[in-house]
Amino acid sequence: MAATTIRLSYYLCCLLLIVQVHSVNRDNFKTCDQSGFCKRHRSMQPGNSPYIVLMDSLKISSSQISVQLLNTKTNVRLVLDLYGLQGNTARVKINELEPLKPRYEIPVGDVLIGEPKQQDLKVLDKGAGSITLGLEDNKIVVSYSPFRIDFIAGEEPVVSINAQGLLKFEHFRKKPEAQPEEQAPANPIEGEEKKEEEGEKKEEEKKPDNEEEPGLWEETYKSFHDPKPNGPASVGIDVSFPGFENVYGIPEHAESMALKTTKDTDPYRLFNLDVFEYELYNPMALYGSVPVMWAHNEKSTVGIYWNNAAETWIDIRSTTADKNFFSKIADLVKGNTEMAQMDTHWFSESGVVDIFVMLGPRPKDVFKQYAALTGSTELPPLFAIAYHQCRWNYNDQDDVKNVDANMDSFDIPYDVIWLDIEHTNGKRYFTWDAHKFPSSKDMINGVAVKGRKMVTIVDPHLKRDDNYNVYTDAKNRDMMVKGGGGEEYEGWCWPGSSSWPDFINPEVRNWWASKFQYSEYGGSTPDLYIWNDMNEPSVFNGPEITFHKDVQHYGGTENRDVHNLYGFYVQKATAEGILMRSNNEQRPFVLTRAFFAGSQRFGAVWTGDNMGEWSHLKVSNPMLLTLNLAGITFSGADVGGFFRNPDHELQTRWYQAGSFQPFFRAHAHIDTKRREPFLLPEENMKIVREAIRKRYTYLPFWYTLFYHGFRSGETVMSPLWVTYPEDKSTFEMDDEYLLGSSLLVKPITEQGSVGTSVYFPGKDESYAGSQNTYVNAPLDKIPVFQRGGSIVPRKMRVRRSSSLMASDPFTLIICLDKQGEASGDFFKNNILQSSNADPSGKGSTKEWVEKLIIVGYPKLPQVSISQLMAIHSLYITAMIVTAEC
Amino acid sequence: MYCIYFLLIVGVKVSAEIGRPRGVSISMASKYEPNDQKIFRCLDGSGTIPYEHLNDDYCDCADGSDEPGTSACTNGKFHCTNAGYTPKNVQSSRVNDGVCDCCDGSDEYEGKIECVNNCKELGKKMREEQDEKRRLQEEGFKKREGFIAEANNMMEGKKLKIQELEKEKTELQDKLKELEAKKAEAEGPEKEAKDKHEQAWKEQKEVRDKERSAIKAREAFDELDLNKDGFVDVLEIIPHMEFDIDSNGVVSEEEAKEHLEDNEKVDFDEFSSRIWGNIQSIYKKLVPDDQKEVPPPPVEPQGETGVPAPTEEPQKSKLESATSSETQELLPTSEDLFPPEVQEDAVDEDKMPEYDEETKALIAAADEARKNHEEADKRSRDIDGEITTLTSYLNTDYGKDKEYAILRDNCYEYTDREYTYKLCPFATASQRPKAGGHETNLGRWGRWENDYKVQVYDHGQNCWNGPDRSVKVHLTCGPEHQLTNAYEPSRCEYAFDFITPCACNQPPQPQDKDPHDEL
Repeated sequence: MAATTIRLSYYLCCLLLIVQVHSVNRDNFKTCDQSGFCKRHRSMQPGNSPYIVLMDSLKISSSQISVQLLNTKTNVRLVLDLYGLQGNTARVKINELEPLKPRYEIPVGDVLIGEPKQQDLKVLDKGAGSITLGLEDNKIVVSYSPFRIDFIAGEEPVVSINAQGLLKFEHFRKKPEAQPEEQAPANPIEGEEKKEEEGEKKEEEKKPDNEEEPGLWEETYKSFHDPKPNGPASVGIDVSFPGFENVYGIPEHAESMALKTTKDTDPYRLFNLDVFEYELYNPMALYGSVPVMWAHNEKSTVGIYWNNAAETWIDIRSTTADKNFFSKIADLVKGNTEMAQMDTHWFSESGVVDIFVMLGPRPKDVFKQYAALTGSTELPPLFAIAYHQCRWNYNDQDDVKNVDANMDSFDIPYDVIWLDIEHTNGKRYFTWDAHKFPSSKDMINGVAVKGRKMVTIVDPHLKRDDNYNVYTDAKNRDMMVKGGGGEEYEGWCWPGSSSWPDFINPEVRNWWASKFQYSEYGGSTPDLYIWNDMNEPSVFNGPEITFHKDVQHYGGTENRDVHNLYGFYVQKATAEGILMRSNNEQRPFVLTRAFFAGSQRFGAVWTGDNMGEWSHLKVSNPMLLTLNLAGITFSGADVGGFFRNPDHELQTRWYQAGSFQPFFRAHAHIDTKRREPFLLPEENMKIVREAIRKRYTYLPFWYTLFYHGFRSGETVMSPLWVTYPEDKSTFEMDDEYLLGSSLLVKPITEQGSVGTSVYFPGKDESYAGSQNTYVNAPLDKIPVFQRGGSIVPRKMRVRRSSSLMASDPFTLIICLDKQGEASGDFFKNNILQSSNADPSGKGSTKEWVEKLIIVGYPKLPQVSISQLMAIHSLYITAMIVTAEC
Repeated sequence: MYCIYFLLIVGVKVSAEIGRPRGVSISMASKYEPNDQKIFRCLDGSGTIPYEHLNDDYCDCADGSDEPGTSACTNGKFHCTNAGYTPKNVQSSRVNDGVCDCCDGSDEYEGKIECVNNCKELGKKMREEQDEKRRLQEEGFKKREGFIAEANNMMEGKKLKIQELEKEKTELQDKLKELEAKKAEAEGPEKEAKDKHEQAWKEQKEVRDKERSAIKAREAFDELDLNKDGFVDVLEIIPHMEFDIDSNGVVSEEEAKEHLEDNEKVDFDEFSSRIWGNIQSIYKKLVPDDQKEVPPPPVEPQGETGVPAPTEEPQKSKLESATSSETQELLPTSEDLFPPEVQEDAVDEDKMPEYDEETKALIAAADEARKNHEEADKRSRDIDGEITTLTSYLNTDYGKDKEYAILRDNCYEYTDREYTYKLCPFATASQRPKAGGHETNLGRWGRWENDYKVQVYDHGQNCWNGPDRSVKVHLTCGPEHQLTNAYEPSRCEYAFDFITPCACNQPPQPQDKDPHDEL
């Protein structure tokens, strides 16, 4: 949902605001120049790191070395901890040696699923200028002066830290007495004047050991003043990937999958924000943040996870590697050819430097390594990967009933019907509008008899109304976030004046989770699931439409420290609530708009308020690929586009694309025309119905994909290079993707298109390998291809909802490769229950295989009657069945 | 990339059914009777299968006809007998899916769910409802017949009125012609007299103008002829800067000569006949150096008084002043700019004398003729308007039998929690807040849709950030005309439910009752 539309209706009298409605208002969001720490870090020049390693302080234990770093300019000491971790992973942590007070670190167990398991580090060489450590087959070289760390996987340097010398660690310091008080302008002056003033200040105060710069002790953005009580506290460092030309990840941006150099733009920004009608292909921050980045080339895949929840910016440059240096530390880089390199520069407003280096070496290895740190996507309940019908808003119970009935009479299956904010009593979540939804349980049960579910929206802002018991309960328990002055923080959101529970506090999360008990959430039933929106959080009258940075959270932290985690915790607490209400028996389903690393464990993510335009359909593929690469595999974009009225062709193509994306939900803004699929003209309706029905036939395949993702952290929607890592032509391909390794999908995203060029990777499989082939794709066709050598499980008896198909037979689609072979598997468990995800157990089911469809068989198969009978009696007893041709 | 599909048939389930196979209706039963070869032919003729493959939960026929009782074919249909209620064909995907779709529960024979056979209750209820509906329909239909009669009367009335008006119009046409002729008759002499008067004035004026011009030529000649030799020569032209053709600040001999039509000098006759006509518009009286006016300062727009600078006044010709006086009524400010006394001086001199009495009488007669004609013409136009209105009324589509005409010129209201909605059939739809406030136009009469079951009112007030408001009115049979519901399924697209006897069709005859009941 859009933040700004309703906000505008509050201020309708102001014509100027209405004008803003039709595009993103860039003025609402900071550029790097308007952010003090971004400017400070970005202005650093490569080379000449002032940091050296103090060898005397070196402490070595079996899996960890600890050593001090000295800033030779300021004499401030830092401490570096380098850990070996299991699975080709290392952790580099840099903190102050003696901070004035502890710097914020994300509690272990929240984002990191636990204390990472350590792995022995062997000291291979301890020279005068560097120490070389062995971690499994990798080498880690820590150079002393200047300080840098290089990771060598096998024979290749793959990651360098502080190679550009951009480490900048703003230690906590006492606020200079008097001077800043004097200088604090009574009326903050914006623009040039202020800069000049600060320039003068800089001149006056220049001391050899002080990095006094503008914006250290306070900043003003538009009319918002940030008093910065802790002063400057940012951290930043560079990470290079020698030998790589492509880096990926760091969602969420409306951007291509292969990240671009930021030489001529702002850096990519990670700062969870509610951006109204966001622009495409630029580095502006959006709703969620996952600070994980992969570098991939033909030989290896490596990456880093930057474990910091503060506002973060990342600069990217494409350069060439310093072969001179590498020839010194490793006997490798030979020849005269230039070696490509990607330089990245990471800086966060507070916290510590905490980098996990994942050394692959294959794409599937890095996903596993990352999943070992932050967890994998929980296997969704089956209904959650079926089709979702949403709109802001289904107006009342009759509306819900009619949509449900129409879907049935047009024979269009769906699993979940959603209710947006208008279902509540005046935007008080956990309540119902008594006139429109007088008997919500009857309504939910009405769809549940057909195996369907409902979802209601529950946002984190609470209406400040003393008659609203969720609010008063939180207030009485002192659970709200506080403003800079310690008062209950107040801001504007959908209900008007609102306050926000402090989800950073584990007790608050427990309290929130308890609100989903059936006894607490009146009118809810086990068939009702939850959607968290506006959890960046969105604050209509806040700076950049979010919290003030000095908002106070649990444990003495500021929003500055934890901003990107707020939405993560909202979804975590909600998912725990849904799990708790069923006594931990049923897997939860919670959709969130804001997210962070680890959010994959709690449910699905969608790409927020997109637009009903072809360009937004097109960008949904790279955006979802990037989310998948960052572990958020259960993700989707609003089918049809949230804003505007898509024409019938666009709607049709969007349904086709959405039916092959992980989270498949149609949604629309309240100002748009009704667009449930049965309202389409018959021709389009039939095509859309076919696309949705096709999704249902593939549900066993999707479920198996998610199961593999759950077990291994693998992507569900994958770039081609994940399966074909050596095929360079796929490295920037983001309009075509694989589901698992079996289905190749190339959705049509161009208006009027009746065909497309499809790239078929892989030389050894039966379809034309490693080349482009033009494929006809009239309006009723989705270009999807099954890989030769694969078996895909489907269920062809499409019913009204996925759960009604639970005991239906399978059809196996067997595509033979050139050798006439194929293999595949599928996973089966209770579609809802949480305890059944373990594959070691055996179970039984009424399902059977009714049909094998063999594709690419050279001649009629010789199948005897006994074989036929054998297949007929193939009742599945094992949970995993591997079939081979 | 070619694909060959092979189907391995993997299941044989023989259902032991007595009589017709499960899911087949009585009317189709004959098609499923076993033949001698124990072969079933798919109903679309696409293939044959052994009888035991009927309802074996594996789809063989392209049309799904071999699996009437299972969910195996995606395009199959399952027939529920629903004894006591209405029989029904459901999609095969609804067979054994755990949802009771048939009231006799026959679609759920696998026992995933226990379906209660409630066909009898449903049948009873349905018959009661049908009776009630029939009663309503009968009542409504009677009223509807009345409305149709009333509408026809009304229509007849309107048609008669149109006839009357047309008759009046025809009569009026003759009268109009007559009046037009009279008007023309009166206007002829009027024009003649006026023209005569004006022509005389024009001639008089020309003579006067000519005299004036001659006087001016003489004056100019005398002024130019500095040496008073009876000739104007080149040297006498040169001091006059207005003859500086190329604006170089000097009047050359060539330039002077050109003004004298290539003569070195001209006498008065030649001057007045050939020269003066060309130069009178630019000629300026030579002013001795010591009397030379300082050029007027540029008029500043922010002049303190707003009164035009005095230099502007002499530039205004008398003619222009006269024009100003004519536009005086339209431009009241001109009175301030040109005081009346100045105008009168200017006007008097060139004003045409009044018409003589005879002409005045002719004008009065013509005015009278014009007035009579205008009145008749207006009436004629009024009649046209009335006919248009009536015709539009008659041409509006009031349904197949004009049954809805009765609703025209009436309005109906419905009030919910927030708004009062108003429908004036064939005119407008609107809403106003219950708490008070102005009315919002939701649409004007547009058209019928869906075989006279839906009325569309569109082009209502535009929605902010959205479409023009519009309403779809769903008409159903009811005992009275009543707006029963109003809602907004999509932002600014409204829907009204309206019940009216007008929508009551003739109820089916009782002997048609339950034609498909099967036992």
